Amino acid sequence: MELKKDRLLEALALLREGSDVALPLPADDGGEPAFRLWDGVQEPFLGSNTSLPPKELLFPRSEGMYGYNLKTGELSDILPEARTAVFGIRPCDVKSIENLDHAFLEKGYVDSYYRARRDGLTTIALGCSEAARTCFCDSMGVAPGDAPGADLMMNDLGDAYSVKANTEKGEAVAKLWEGLLSKGGAKAPAAPACGFSVKADDSLPDRLTARFDDPMWDSLSKACIGCGCCSFICPTCYCFDIGRENRGACGTAFRCWDSCMFSDYSRMAGGHNPRPSKKERLRNRYLHKLAYFSQRYGATLCVGCGRCIDKCPANLDITRVMDMMEGVDANG
Amino acid sequence: MARPGGAAAAAKRPVAEAGPGAAREGNPLLPAMCRVIKITDETPDVKTFRIQTADGAKPFDPMPGQLAMLSAMGVGEAMFSVTAKGEDWIESSIKRVGLLTEALHGLSEGDMIGVRGPYGNHFPVDAIKGRDLLFVGGGIGLAPVRSLIRYALERREDYGSLDVLYGSRSYDDLVFKSDIFENWPAVCNTHITIDNAEERWDGHVGFVPSYLEEKAFSPENRVVVLCGPPIMIKFCLESLMRMGFSKENVITTLEMRMKCGVGKCGRCNIGSKYVCLDGPVFTMSELDGLPDEK
Ligand SMILES: Cc1cc2nc3c(=O)[nH]c(=O)nc-3n(C[C@H](O)[C@H](O)[C@H](O)COP(=O)(O)OP(=O)(O)OC[C@H]3O[C@@H](n4cnc5c(N)ncnc54)[C@H](O)[C@@H]3O)c2cc1C
Ligand code: SF4
Ligand code: SF4
Ligand code: FES
Repeated sequence: MELKKDRLLEALALLREGSDVALPLPADDGGEPAFRLWDGVQEPFLGSNTSLPPKELLFPRSEGMYGYNLKTGELSDILPEARTAVFGIRPCDVKSIENLDHAFLEKGYVDSYYRARRDGLTTIALGCSEAARTCFCDSMGVAPGDAPGADLMMNDLGDAYSVKANTEKGEAVAKLWEGLLSKGGAKAPAAPACGFSVKADDSLPDRLTARFDDPMWDSLSKACIGCGCCSFICPTCYCFDIGRENRGACGTAFRCWDSCMFSDYSRMAGGHNPRPSKKERLRNRYLHKLAYFSQRYGATLCVGCGRCIDKCPANLDITRVMDMMEGVDANG
Repeated sequence: MARPGGAAAAAKRPVAEAGPGAAREGNPLLPAMCRVIKITDETPDVKTFRIQTADGAKPFDPMPGQLAMLSAMGVGEAMFSVTAKGEDWIESSIKRVGLLTEALHGLSEGDMIGVRGPYGNHFPVDAIKGRDLLFVGGGIGLAPVRSLIRYALERREDYGSLDVLYGSRSYDDLVFKSDIFENWPAVCNTHITIDNAEERWDGHVGFVPSYLEEKAFSPENRVVVLCGPPIMIKFCLESLMRMGFSKENVITTLEMRMKCGVGKCGRCNIGSKYVCLDGPVFTMSELDGLPDEK
């Protein structure tokens, strides 16, 4: 099926009757485009992917966890009740949600906050028809034109979008849009070529961990200023800190994004820090992305969106380490 | 007393037992408000807190070596070993080192305390059945070991000989004095040392690693459980290697900075392992397989 482009806002308005709708939108103040809740009027920003990742829909930069009363000792869970449909999410970012699912929902414990938001999320993906210069998703197992993990997949056909449901949630959207859809959209256009490619095959985790003590980490990390930007804009970075805010007798425990690139991230009581310098911290970030996560969950924690390459103030580039692994075997 | 042991038992490798498998019910990050029912001063900066739910029950039933995330409301939370459990309580011993531990030390009996857990894996209590056990602790490091000592004493016939070798800087800094001087000497071998001579102390003087070598424990059928400050662990391990122990038979616990305790926040990783979930208990040979970021 297909949806004519001039009926997109109508389709989104229908969605908005049953849930919040998040779209890639430019910032009012000219800031970075990001996934924001739609007011029902604004035109979506669809020219390229957003600078800020959609992870906020599932894992807000700061979220209340529970409230407490210092006098009575009462605790109250603050579980979110979110129902959100997101339109315009790209294949790399859809893949990043699969990664967040592994981290928050597997290995014995289910994160209740994430679970609630995730259950309420419907993903309507838009295939890329143009790749940015920093895109390398197809090297990381993502097809720029297809997102099998999305509930509904759409592709730009010129004057219309193809519409294909992958899941029950997606079928529900297609049904809601029934009156707006027309026949067609059977064949998606050829996907664009990525900006560049890297070699990231199944042996990369072993090849990288074998180089744990390599001096290359010194040279790679030299320029890093430890700003943490790479983690904040990465769609798959999910580390968090837990804090508290007190107001009189009441307070809230909250969690917020954190970055393993910060020096006090792993500093222990007494001052000992297992990752004392930026060399250890950068190595940990890269290895977490490209080796540790695969060893634990069987998926790479980098989806090749290129955001960190684009935004790092010191010009660090995660693909450099992958290039350096060319020709290196797993035995070091 | 019958002493199981011999070749069959020795063949079992004491690998750290797996962390939680099946998904847990409820919100794992939400503490339960419990009550401190007893506080014991151990040393000038260590207190032991006995904790019970508001309706008089045990907050949870931990295995030896497992952890509890304790919180002072409005201040913060941190991870502690559960050093003992009873019918309707658990105990943790807490050293005052900073913001939260200061606040916990300020609590009085009857005050509320946030509790979540139990977290982490536990000492391989089944795999070490039939073995002679040597517990080596330094300072507050006796806290995690104590849970296993108590477990073994409650099941005395399951284990071979039990030796506790423990040391601290001074007499005042020895924790669990009633255990190490009264309860345990009656039922197992205790070897206590302090770093420097003191007038009131007629026991052994010297560091834990040298006392360990002096005692010349045989590695035959013996498993060592070693916890304490990193520097003590390092030297004790060297001593144990000289004495002929293999790293597979030396078990320890790790500490890393922790926030969530359930393998989500990413903070406590060593390579692809999370100490809060896959640890804190590891054998020395397992640690050799992890990156050197401890
Ligand atoms: C698995 C595990 C088991 C544990 N078991 C036990 C146990 O059984 N008993 C026990 O007592 N502890 C145990 N701990 C340690 C315990 O968790 C810590 O002591 C506790 O987190 C300290 O918290 P705090 O808020 O009091 O200290 P913090 O306030 O976080 O910091 C303490 C120290 O850090 C210094 N510091 C604070 N802020 C800074 C800064 N910005 N820069 C530099 N230095 C700073 C302070 O001067 C102080 O010395 C365990 C830890 C783990 C991970
Ligand atoms: S964005 Fe660049 S400079 Fe900043 S922490 Fe990441 S790698 Fe370092
Ligand atoms: S590491 Fe960089 S390129 Fe990879 S997913 Fe994160 S932001 Fe994108
Ligand atoms: S404490 Fe959060 S992952 Fe271990």
